[in-house]
Amino acid sequence: MPASSSAAMVGASSTWSRALMQISPYTFSALGIAIGIGVSALGAAWGILITGSSLIGAAVKAPRITSKNLISVIFCEAVAIYGVIVAIILQTKLESVPPSQLYAPESLRAGYAIFASGIVVGFANLACGLCVGIIGSSCALSDAQNSSLFVKILVIEIFGSALGLFGVIVGIIMSAQATWPSK
Amino acid sequence: MSSVVKKFFIASMFMWAAPVAILYGFNHNILPGSTHLDSYSLTLLSGFLAVISVNIVIAIYICMAMKEPSDKHEPDPAFLASAKASLRQKPNEAEDSSPTREKEE
Repeated sequence: MPASSSAAMVGASSTWSRALMQISPYTFSALGIAIGIGVSALGAAWGILITGSSLIGAAVKAPRITSKNLISVIFCEAVAIYGVIVAIILQTKLESVPPSQLYAPESLRAGYAIFASGIVVGFANLACGLCVGIIGSSCALSDAQNSSLFVKILVIEIFGSALGLFGVIVGIIMSAQATWPSK
Repeated sequence: MSSVVKKFFIASMFMWAAPVAILYGFNHNILPGSTHLDSYSLTLLSGFLAVISVNIVIAIYICMAMKEPSDKHEPDPAFLASAKASLRQKPNEAEDSSPTREKEE
């Protein structure tokens, strides 16, 4: 063991940290972008399926609820669009660096920033999509019974959709500082 | 019903087109003033404007949807017809089943 740890080279005190630092920052960036848009779409789809099935079922006996309750579907779709916005921003942040600079600390930092940005946005949008979906389904059912309840439940839904907004804001700020070393 | 779906589709299209157009405009220097920004502020400004545009479209859709008059409750005519038909049938079926129950007892 001492032989292998002393052979584990510059700047790394153990083989695990050396292994992590040898992963290309482009791997982390690509994973971040994929997770950002993929998990956002998952959250949006889940929310739309929950709210859409309740909405269509409730509209059988109360067709008047459809126009107002499509607002819930729009909130869920906004979640997917936040994922698309961040994915477009992140892919404009990818730049080529010369191979000598590939494992420079600033490169690694840029790779990690893009990775973290994608994960933040993806999972915040997943939670937001689920939340808005479940609230929207209850909103449709209660609106079918008593239309005065709609506005009150809409307030709760607006709070729920703010979760996705927080994720997008943090994701954009994190990605803004992803600067690759230039030469 | 079709006006509801049409409004929804138009709102959805705007929700997709507006932020992508804003991001495209900033990144390809189409929008005025986008050339002078460093990449940090460019990312921040384009990102926040795109998110704000999505929220504006959502707010407009909410205003349009809340204005629709939803006071008239019109049940589906086919459902209403079958409900009325079942009402006419049920009293006859009740008369048929009650004598059989008395016989069993």
